[in-house]
Amino acid sequence: MRKQDTKIVKSICTIDHETCGVLVHVKDGRVVKIEGDPDFPQNEGAMCPKGLSYIQAIYHPDRIKYPMKRGGERGEGKWQRISWDEALDTIASKIKQAKEEYGPESIALSICDGLRGNELAAYGFMHALGSPMICGTDAHYCFRPQANADMATFGMGNFITSEKSQGGPEFEQSKCMLIWGANPFQCHMTIGRNIIKGLKNGAKLIVVDPRFTNLAAKADLWLQVRPATDGALALGMLNYIIEEGLYDKEFVNKYCFGFDQLKERVKEYPLKKVSEITWVPEENIRQAAIMYATLKPAAVSTRMGLNMHTNAIQTLRAVDLLIALTGNIDVKGGNILAIPESDLPYIPWWRVELSTRLSPQEMEKAPGVKDWPMFYGHNACIFSQSYPPFFFDMLLTGKPYKTRVLLCLNDPVMGLQDSKRMREAIKNVDFVVKNDLFISPTANLADILLPAASYLERDEIHTMFYTGFIAVAGKAIKPIGECRDEKEIFIELAMRLGIELPFPMKSVKEFLDWRLKPSGMTFDEAKEKGIIEIPFQYKKYGKEGFKFPTETGKIELYSKRFEKYGYDPLPYYEEPPVSPYSTPELLERYPLILISGARTNLLYHSAGRQIPWLRELFPEPILEVHPDTAEKLGIHDEDWVWIETSQKEGRIKQKARLTLGIHPKVVHARSHWWFPERKDDPERGCMESNINAIMSDKPPYDPISGSPIVRGCLCKIYKAEKD
Amino acid sequence: MNQKNLFIDLEYCIGCQVCEVACKQENKLPVGIKWIDVVQVGPRMVGEKLKMDFVPMRCRHCAKAPCIDACPEKAITKRADGIVLINPELCSGCTACFEACPLGAIQLNPKTQVAEKCTLCVHRIDAGLEPACVHHCPAKCMYSGNINDLLKIIQDKEAKRMIGVV
Repeated sequence: MRKQDTKIVKSICTIDHETCGVLVHVKDGRVVKIEGDPDFPQNEGAMCPKGLSYIQAIYHPDRIKYPMKRGGERGEGKWQRISWDEALDTIASKIKQAKEEYGPESIALSICDGLRGNELAAYGFMHALGSPMICGTDAHYCFRPQANADMATFGMGNFITSEKSQGGPEFEQSKCMLIWGANPFQCHMTIGRNIIKGLKNGAKLIVVDPRFTNLAAKADLWLQVRPATDGALALGMLNYIIEEGLYDKEFVNKYCFGFDQLKERVKEYPLKKVSEITWVPEENIRQAAIMYATLKPAAVSTRMGLNMHTNAIQTLRAVDLLIALTGNIDVKGGNILAIPESDLPYIPWWRVELSTRLSPQEMEKAPGVKDWPMFYGHNACIFSQSYPPFFFDMLLTGKPYKTRVLLCLNDPVMGLQDSKRMREAIKNVDFVVKNDLFISPTANLADILLPAASYLERDEIHTMFYTGFIAVAGKAIKPIGECRDEKEIFIELAMRLGIELPFPMKSVKEFLDWRLKPSGMTFDEAKEKGIIEIPFQYKKYGKEGFKFPTETGKIELYSKRFEKYGYDPLPYYEEPPVSPYSTPELLERYPLILISGARTNLLYHSAGRQIPWLRELFPEPILEVHPDTAEKLGIHDEDWVWIETSQKEGRIKQKARLTLGIHPKVVHARSHWWFPERKDDPERGCMESNINAIMSDKPPYDPISGSPIVRGCLCKIYKAEKD
Repeated sequence: MNQKNLFIDLEYCIGCQVCEVACKQENKLPVGIKWIDVVQVGPRMVGEKLKMDFVPMRCRHCAKAPCIDACPEKAITKRADGIVLINPELCSGCTACFEACPLGAIQLNPKTQVAEKCTLCVHRIDAGLEPACVHHCPAKCMYSGNINDLLKIIQDKEAKRMIGVV
């Protein structure tokens, strides 16, 4: 082999929530290796197992390589190859017919973490059709709760405690790192890498997690909190910090509103009471409060553990107030305020969405918008859209609008609670289009399957995540088979339907050029650079005349925005609706607390189980059980066990792993499990071990976000009989 | 000493298994063989505290490598720079070296039925590059180089610990 035969193309891997520079080795038009790019600031050469094995995904024999239509009954798993023209003509005519006969509301979009970067094209297409039926299926419990808490507190929904804000916690500069309901070592290695840099620089690490994770193993202080009681813990820390005078008085006086009301409220959370609620020893809570408040700068990072229960928003608010009271905001090594939009070198997706959005009256037709106006309505801090559980109610019942066509860019059967209901809801739609890399459990229910292009086969601007730069990358290889970028699909459909997309988008190129206009560069020019840096300024609030974009112009410890919408303006803790204390009568039948869905760096939600190198390392769904609990139940390591929950009829099975890393009264189940290798079963065993099959999306809900009980219900487990 | 080797700072190893998959891709390994294997130790109680550690197991390219003498085919050799290699052309797959290795670092490739182990990415080292595992380690806790350089890293780390810098 001659060396010059292989060319190296720079690209940006975005197969999960990260944005990592990669060097793609291409030989004769085929990718032979994907390496981390040492010059890319985000990952500095580092990679994750998913990215390093992606070569097995793009050339996988099961990959969908051309359009297909259903050959048998819905869900039977029989497919016929068709041409792109036939696929697009069929989809366009179905949409046209539905729109003419039933109105634009009969066409719906389901979208989430799929192939990122194409949200805009999808939203724009729906708005051009005149349909408000857009559902980001994780809207009620992924990021949006954090954004709403930030909006209420700092006036901007900028994900202050995640790295998503431009800037993000720079743990490298921190003296104290507080990681709460999160494990960046598994799901956000960029934050994880910053945490390691912090550790190497001598920063203290506090981890709040019911599980002893690989992150908790590195912590100076690990708080093993009872699931879904984090709100009480944060309120207890706030109270201690105020009582002991550990807060930044000058900062609070100058920049915060509502201190006295907050002080009164948190008096309800003395250490002893909080310890009883959370099962965290008093001394540990005290230590955490002292460390976080006195080791400056300190930064917090939160994640799904705080989002997916019925006290989510007020919990996140309480954590935000820790940041505010200690003045750890917009300082090096603290949490960061977003870069003003006027400084961005591109047109951000949320800006486009705002300008193309339908009128408030039209958007209100989307399920749930009226029920949770602050969270999903026209003034929502991200954008207006459906409330997911009600959206799927609509699909199932045909009310208030019967869905005739569903464009599906994600996998609700695996990703949402009550999987069987999701399956029925999707089946109840007249015509379902699904694009994907593989025939996932949701794709199996489609009428038409479209072959999706991976990041290696697309031109893309990566703007959504992290730090002060955006990344631009072109195709590394020609699309495999007949795979296509979704942007092209929406352009083609718009042309066939004779509708005009709400931004310059006659071609992918035109669209990308337009988005980069503020940078003064075309896509091709930006691609050569790879990275466009965005200047960053600390302590923006210190500037003459600066006002936080809240009603009072200050950081609102007492939230005027919440008050206006009729929510409690001050954070509070509420016992989980199903728990050993609130429903003791259930304990006999369901003696254990169930949490689920901790992420792994080997799999991304429902993706990755068909990749040999990944599956070798994570072959089966694992249920974590304390050895004492297992002994009482006669369960041994590696036994298959049935799980039943307080939330939903039915049972699923996972393989027991005995570990001291979990509380004896708590078990943890893995999420999103299906078995792509089961070729004889069109459903690929997607109800057998999938935790969402025994979870519910019915009330009670978080009063602000509508999150149902996802983390922290009750369950029982027992050994599965041998087949 | 221009002897090449690898140092892994276990204090910062997070058990992410990136090194395992980086090695798989670089050396085109099938399922069923690992040239580097991250072993999780714990969670276990150490005194009052819960602990968990991660130890990546792999060929240490021993100064006096017992596998070399154990091989009846003389298929295992040590290069001048210290890297221990198995010649797949000479290996009969008899597994005698497995027993000789105190670390269990040698395995049979299920596809080729030849004994294999970490080569320190000798093809990369010869091209002036770091081994794939070192290149991709998110914790940047893996170091490759001459033993003298590696010793210096270890000494600096110990010195810092002793004077309480970190």
